[in-house]
Amino acid sequence: MKRQAGVMRIGVSSLWAWWVPLAWLVALLAMIQIMPDGEDIFRQIAPDNRSVIYRRDDFLTLVANHMAIVGVASLVAITAGVGAAVVVTRSWGRDFLPLVAQLASMGQTFPPVAVLALSVPMLGFGTEPTIMALVLYGLLPIVRNTLVGLQGIDADVLEAARGMGMSAIQILWQVELPLAFKVIVAGIRTSVTINIATAAIGSTIGAKTLGDPIIAGIINGNTAYILQGAILIALLALCVDSSFERFSRLL
Amino acid sequence: MIELREVSKLFGREHAVDGISLTVASGELCVLVGTSGCGKSTTLRMINRLIEHSAGQILIDGQQIRSFNGQVLRRRMGYAIQSTGLFPHWSVARNIGLVPRLLKWTPARIEERVTELMELLGLEPATFADKMPAQLSGGQAQRVGVARALAADPDILLMDEPFGALDPITRETLQDELLRLQSRLRKTIVFVTHDMDEALKLADRIVVMNQGRIVQQGTPQTLLHEPADEFVESLLGGADRGLKQAGLTRVATLMQPLDPAQAKAKADLPTVGVDDSLRLALSLMLWHRCESLMVTSEDGQPVGTLAFHDLLRTAP
Ligand SMILES: Nc1ncnc2c1ncn2[C@@H]1O[C@H](COP(=O)(O)OP(=O)(O)OP(=O)(O)O)[C@@H](O)[C@H]1O
Ligand SMILES: [Mg+2]
Repeated sequence: MKRQAGVMRIGVSSLWAWWVPLAWLVALLAMIQIMPDGEDIFRQIAPDNRSVIYRRDDFLTLVANHMAIVGVASLVAITAGVGAAVVVTRSWGRDFLPLVAQLASMGQTFPPVAVLALSVPMLGFGTEPTIMALVLYGLLPIVRNTLVGLQGIDADVLEAARGMGMSAIQILWQVELPLAFKVIVAGIRTSVTINIATAAIGSTIGAKTLGDPIIAGIINGNTAYILQGAILIALLALCVDSSFERFSRLL
Repeated sequence: MIELREVSKLFGREHAVDGISLTVASGELCVLVGTSGCGKSTTLRMINRLIEHSAGQILIDGQQIRSFNGQVLRRRMGYAIQSTGLFPHWSVARNIGLVPRLLKWTPARIEERVTELMELLGLEPATFADKMPAQLSGGQAQRVGVARALAADPDILLMDEPFGALDPITRETLQDELLRLQSRLRKTIVFVTHDMDEALKLADRIVVMNQGRIVQQGTPQTLLHEPADEFVESLLGGADRGLKQAGLTRVATLMQPLDPAQAKAKADLPTVGVDDSLRLALSLMLWHRCESLMVTSEDGQPVGTLAFHDLLRTAP
């Protein structure tokens, strides 16, 4: 009974609390809907261009594709990043800790454009090399935060867990990951938000993303195109980031 | 029964524990004392195989602990530590129910057991069951730690400074409760402390360690009267031993039965309980500047007298 009341309370209050991400989502959907009809406004920005609304693909397709690319890349980065951090914090994997920490930070210092340039010869043009670049780029915040979260757990809690006779797997699932969860989610949030912006460069090698209008705008000197891509990317990033913010408060 | 035979533990090339032999009989409360770093915790953690011993044998009920699976062994032993190590993301009830859950008890049986333990340790179940560890005071957290250690009703209890971080009053309360529990449950307990008074109060047997070795073991009385060397003597408080000894003896052992003819005349004397210690009696005499006390039973009835010169007799 008591527990149910708790769920109800969270349900009502959190609906309220979610208004920020919801507002960004509404703004995003509204923009997708009305920008194609905003010819008059965009004409002001780019008076010299023949066309002022990007129409090669409709915006919804671009947003969906953009999200899919970021989503797949993030899932891979989360699996690999959390997995690697877990492995190197086990007693049998500790030797690899410096290596993994270093690889992850290299992934971040390496510019994504360079990753793209290097992966095209291997994976060809299109979506796959883009995803690979995003995975590499998004790994560091996840690995780093998972390491911080796992290493920050009170040694006495782990001693007690072992002392009570929990197995290594039970300790990982029931104690370590839940206690580190908040920090891990913060790392995922950073990673995903950065990659929503970074994914746009995938358009330079032929992935269909919200970078398309931007690239087209740069090539044709069309500021209106650039603006349309930028607005959608910004709204998408804000929507996802504020959702994470809400989510991490629930924890 | 726990037996250690010539057990050693090496960390690198350092002997943390150096060839100790020790037998803890079933139902015995054995207290390990010694200076910091002398290997008390290491000894305890070897018994439940949190760390493996480097040499010698450790036997539980005659069986080598290496013949057991480590996890199975640990689920059979209660383990309580100073910092409690409660899981911060679990409620009190869930923390206490951990080992029964690991042992796959039914939820109903676990809940029943948790409630029983909370009552046993003076934690009102309705108030505390759903609290999180962060909401508990130090003393309450220690109780939960002890309850968790007792949860699956283990025969053996390993306690590493379980009352270490508490104020003297709470600590004394918990010590009394442990003694009360022990008189009922008769567990085999290995208890680590570096508080000598705690050791003297709780122990059936005290084991004094120094630099990884056992210097002396025996009953509190033996240690007080026949300390093996200066180290043990100073650990026991040196010249303070007289008071420590008095702290171990009940008033009842030295009091004179009440002479009904004199009861009236002595009615004004300060009173002391039969179960109080001689140390307390002496303190009362010093405080009230008097040479005799009225001894009262638990329900407050006068049952005898205790005079200063009685304190100088040796206990029968
Ligand atoms: N995991 C470990 N690795 C290396 N050395 C250790 C380890 N655990 C303990 N030691 C060393 O072993 C010795 C005994 O440590 P132990 O924890 O048993 O002492 P203790 O008697 O419990 O002390 P305290 O009263 O301070 O808790 C110490 O010198 C300590 O530094
Ligand atoms: Mg210790």
